[in-house]
Amino acid sequence: MRRSSIRALAVPGVLVLLVVLVALAAPILPLADPVRQDVANRLSGPSAGHWLGQDEYGRDVLSRIIWGARVSLTVAAVAAALAAIVGTLLGILGGYFRGLVELVTVRVAEIVLCFPPLLLALLVVTLLGPGAGTLVFSLAILFAPGFARVAYAETLSARALDYVTAQQALGARTRRILFLTLLPNIAPPLIVQFSLTVAAAMVLESGLSFLGLGVVPPSPSWGLMIRGARASMEQAPLLLFWPCLALTGTVLVLNLLCDRLRDVLDPRGKAAGRPGFLGRLIALPPAPAPRQAPGLLTVDGLTLSVPGPKGPIEVVRDVGFTLAPGETLAIVGESGSGKTLTGLTVMGLLPAAVKPVAGSILFTGRDGRVRDLLRLPEPEMRSLRGRDLAMIFQDPSSSLNPLLRIGSQLAETLRAHGVRNGVRDRVIGLLRQVGLPDPERAADAYPHEISGGQRQRVMIAAAIANGPRLLLADEPTTALDVTVQAQILALLADLKRAEGGMGMAFVTHNLAVVGEIADRVLVMYAGEVVEEGPVADVFAAPRHPYTAALIASMPEGDAERLTAIPGAVPQPWAMPAGCRFAPRCTLAAEACRATAPALTEVAPGRSSRCLRWKEVA
Amino acid sequence: MNAPQDALVRGEGITRAFHRRGGLFSRGTPMLALRGVDIAVKRGEAVGVVGESGCGKSTLGRVMLRLLPPTDGRVLFEGEDLATLPAARLRALRRRMQLVFQDPYGSLDPRRTVGAQIADGMVIHGLATGAEAAERVPALLRQVGLDPDHAKRLPHEFSGGQRQRIAVARALSTQPDFIVADEPVSALDVSIQAQVVNLLADLRAELGLALMFISHDLHVVRHLCDRVVVMYLGRVMEEGSAAEIFRAPAHPYTRALLAATPSLRHRGAAAAPLAGEVPSIARPPSGCVFRTRCAFAQPRCAEAVPTLESLPGAGARRIACHRAAELP
Amino acid sequence: MLAFAARRLLVSLGLVWVVASLVFLVIHLIPGDPAELLLSQGGIAPDPAAVEELRERLGLNEPLWTQYLTYMGGLLRGDFGLSLQDEHPIAEEIALRLPRTLELVGMAGLLSVIFGVPLGIAAAMRAGGALDRILSAWAGFALSVPVFVVGTLAVLVLAQQLKLVSAGGYVPLARDPGRHLALLMMPAATIAVGLGAVVFRVMRSSVLEVLEREHVRAAQARGLAPAAIIRRHVLRNALTPVVTVVALHLGSLLGGTVLVEFVFNWPGLSGYLVRAVEARDYPEVLGIVLVISTLFVLLNFLVDLLYAVIDPRVRHG
Repeated sequence: MRRSSIRALAVPGVLVLLVVLVALAAPILPLADPVRQDVANRLSGPSAGHWLGQDEYGRDVLSRIIWGARVSLTVAAVAAALAAIVGTLLGILGGYFRGLVELVTVRVAEIVLCFPPLLLALLVVTLLGPGAGTLVFSLAILFAPGFARVAYAETLSARALDYVTAQQALGARTRRILFLTLLPNIAPPLIVQFSLTVAAAMVLESGLSFLGLGVVPPSPSWGLMIRGARASMEQAPLLLFWPCLALTGTVLVLNLLCDRLRDVLDPRGKAAGRPGFLGRLIALPPAPAPRQAPGLLTVDGLTLSVPGPKGPIEVVRDVGFTLAPGETLAIVGESGSGKTLTGLTVMGLLPAAVKPVAGSILFTGRDGRVRDLLRLPEPEMRSLRGRDLAMIFQDPSSSLNPLLRIGSQLAETLRAHGVRNGVRDRVIGLLRQVGLPDPERAADAYPHEISGGQRQRVMIAAAIANGPRLLLADEPTTALDVTVQAQILALLADLKRAEGGMGMAFVTHNLAVVGEIADRVLVMYAGEVVEEGPVADVFAAPRHPYTAALIASMPEGDAERLTAIPGAVPQPWAMPAGCRFAPRCTLAAEACRATAPALTEVAPGRSSRCLRWKEVA
Repeated sequence: MNAPQDALVRGEGITRAFHRRGGLFSRGTPMLALRGVDIAVKRGEAVGVVGESGCGKSTLGRVMLRLLPPTDGRVLFEGEDLATLPAARLRALRRRMQLVFQDPYGSLDPRRTVGAQIADGMVIHGLATGAEAAERVPALLRQVGLDPDHAKRLPHEFSGGQRQRIAVARALSTQPDFIVADEPVSALDVSIQAQVVNLLADLRAELGLALMFISHDLHVVRHLCDRVVVMYLGRVMEEGSAAEIFRAPAHPYTRALLAATPSLRHRGAAAAPLAGEVPSIARPPSGCVFRTRCAFAQPRCAEAVPTLESLPGAGARRIACHRAAELP
Repeated sequence: MLAFAARRLLVSLGLVWVVASLVFLVIHLIPGDPAELLLSQGGIAPDPAAVEELRERLGLNEPLWTQYLTYMGGLLRGDFGLSLQDEHPIAEEIALRLPRTLELVGMAGLLSVIFGVPLGIAAAMRAGGALDRILSAWAGFALSVPVFVVGTLAVLVLAQQLKLVSAGGYVPLARDPGRHLALLMMPAATIAVGLGAVVFRVMRSSVLEVLEREHVRAAQARGLAPAAIIRRHVLRNALTPVVTVVALHLGSLLGGTVLVEFVFNWPGLSGYLVRAVEARDYPEVLGIVLVISTLFVLLNFLVDLLYAVIDPRVRHG
């Protein structure tokens, strides 16, 4: 466990421990007998002998609260433990074997969930009569299905994971898989469930006791104490206060522990914090607004950083390029190269954690005005998005809202930019333009009713709806099959031909796709541009060792062995001091490790970030 | 049956159905992921299985290892039907056949050291006691090109490519004869892909492994495999030697697939892309499953399912097409 | 859609049947003779003749199968039998009291949603901000206070000490609508403290989760205004978990109002239930359990329909 996790658990953990210790220590603490009555002093206030006063029978309140903790905690913990053991076993067996086993374990357990919990407890009390034993039994029955459900769901998802299949493939026995592989991996949510159950069981126990159907008097119990104090609340309101405080405090501390446990052990539910688009922070100092800019889009010196444990980490450094109207620029690189972040920066859609710290993005809009997108206020940026600037994303199945009809999602794009009349016709026209077979029907369909390739066509239709000047495509074919990829690439090429001046930036990891679609290519590595130039020239004669190695590692040639690049991309927080590619480069010399090379022009329209570019064959 | 008699593993007429979850009272419509697939892998041979999503290639890999039972047909390992083997014999046989997965992040147990996971197979099959197995782990790590001192680390401390090497080491630990590799490089970056492909090629040459290499990437398959099986919607479309198929693809689907695959070498030479998309396996077309997208389809293609037959004058090459003889 | 509803209804009715049969089995299969148990209060062995007479009256001497058919036949006609204590028809008493409990549960649910949903959205929008921190801390606290503690303390402070409201009770709607509502508000608000906190939490985390989804970013890339994104692309998608949680809790509330009704002297089902449990009046307890469980199952059926309305993917199976 990491230090931060321990810190998060410390406060509630210590408090829970304190409650448990006090309850355990009840017999050895110098307390009055919790059941000894002293009717003469009934309802008397706090005194030296009775710090919290005496109840309606003159019994010591402090002593009853501490002894009551013992009863409540024991009942809750034993019931939760029983429920955990039985429920987990049922859930794992049901989830692993499915079929008939699932029917008799999980489904039967779920029937219990058809009864409202308190009602079921009352039913058991009716049948068995009140008492601590009944309580434990009924609470265990009540909470076991919860564990079964969690264990079942976790087992189902874990069972489909490759490392479980790997154990089967290795020939491991079922018992070994269940207890050595599955159980440790589904344990975290079960531990959370356990602490949740202890708290819930305490609440239920005290509730039943409050109704007079749980713990039998004169045994001390918080629920019973509240029940007793209610009758005399006019004379002694404090009597009501103490057990309420004890009960609420304990449950609160348990719940807090549970919340923290969930955050530490089971981080899935934890959201990443403030959503990015609700207020784009413009952290950059204003720069003089340029009148003229070369081309359609000019990115210069763009640097992005994310907060790290030891200060900000630059994930994109000094990226610059120019895109002319009607041109297609491919931004190519492996994971962690910063290619996608660069694209998102142009759209002003960076995740909240990533901050631009330097550079400018000059964009010439349809109105001929040049704007620095990096410094543009959000309302102005918004009016550009979807009109002058459009984007298509990698995964067409998650880029459309599953709950809205396709036509309605296209229509909102048009309406957001002022189209009021003939929206439906425009929508159908767009769908026809991107080659959907039955545009009328497609407009009325929900996204799940059409195929992945068609969904990407819809995304493209939305992107071109308002005639953008610049289309950003972020790995638009990566999630598609090759035959469909070919269709989408052809469609994009057609659209570009039709919309004369539209520029396109195409982000991809696939060099072969670059060759199909782009005029120029920008190769990125570890957050930097390493080479830029016309596609044909770069592919024919790369001027950076990384580009050369990437081309050589494509499994296309007839060579017996593929040329592999040794090592792996450096992590953003552990970048080499000199050239970032030096540790993996066959040409690297001392100078490469010492100084970070600058992007230099190696030929008209071509640049490389390499000290020894002349030697790259 | 044309399959050679010396096949190490052979699948005969494999059909595998999945049931869409129906209501309480119905089982739902069966979806046939595989329909009558014949495949054989000889000792030391690398067979590539290629196709797009939904073609059944991954299911085939799992059926060959009997991680999924076939709905119909049988799988023979050295002539023994895996379905009729007693459970204990089958478990023992698992030592000799292993699996490498696509996702290097999901295939390793995040809570156990990589050393323990590599040792698992040896312990399970009684090849070594726990301590002996742990002693052999460094050698295995070295064999796949990793630092032998890293056995005590947890999976999250490794990169994707390194994890894939660990998965290969785990598969090798029991000294198998047959490995199914299910898209082992498609989750990796290009520069790392080549490392793992080379590793698999070296190991195969060194250890004489029989390899079933499942991939959607034609180029990788071409590089690594002796023979290629092209699948579409649960059926085999074409089968033959890798070099031959890439030189002159015969089946209309193989041709379209090759033409659609972008390539650095044949830039811009792409023919008109294949229309439409792969139909749902819940509602496959009648007759030839490819006919709905085939440029050569005729009415008769809808009537009967074409069988896999030797291409006239092309030796080991077999294709499933009614118009095999008439194709231009 | 219709086929979907019909299928779901069939499953729900099946579940009701299973629950009814289970309840029947529970009473007949547990060790001990119900008649004897009923009569043996105070630890004194009952008179065998009296036991025999009661067994005859309850039909316990018939074969199990006959008893089951009689029981199920009665249920189909809406006949839950007679109370053992006063021989009053159970169905009548339930029919009288159930609407009061439903009213309480409905009002509590309404209050929880009215407060929980907007506050949950507001907190998610400014996650990590001051409002979010305050509301989240309050929700954590509100969730931890047992409902009868809230109720009892509310009575103590608001009714006893400050004399703002009356401590509880019930006036039929027909007699005095204003007073009826005033008396309803206290117990309903008491329930809504905890339930509202649950709704708040689920809404908050659900909105946060949806905000991270790709389609929200895609909508933003199309230039939609934040208000339109929230309305069209976030809220509806975030609603499903909230519906689930509200339904689940309303279901448990059907039984869980016992405590609140007890505290505020609200004459719903619970007073009847507690009396029945104390007297071990099996027919009464079973009748109430059955009615509430059936409602619970039907509520789940309605939730399934609601899902289908919200999400087209569910409709199309």
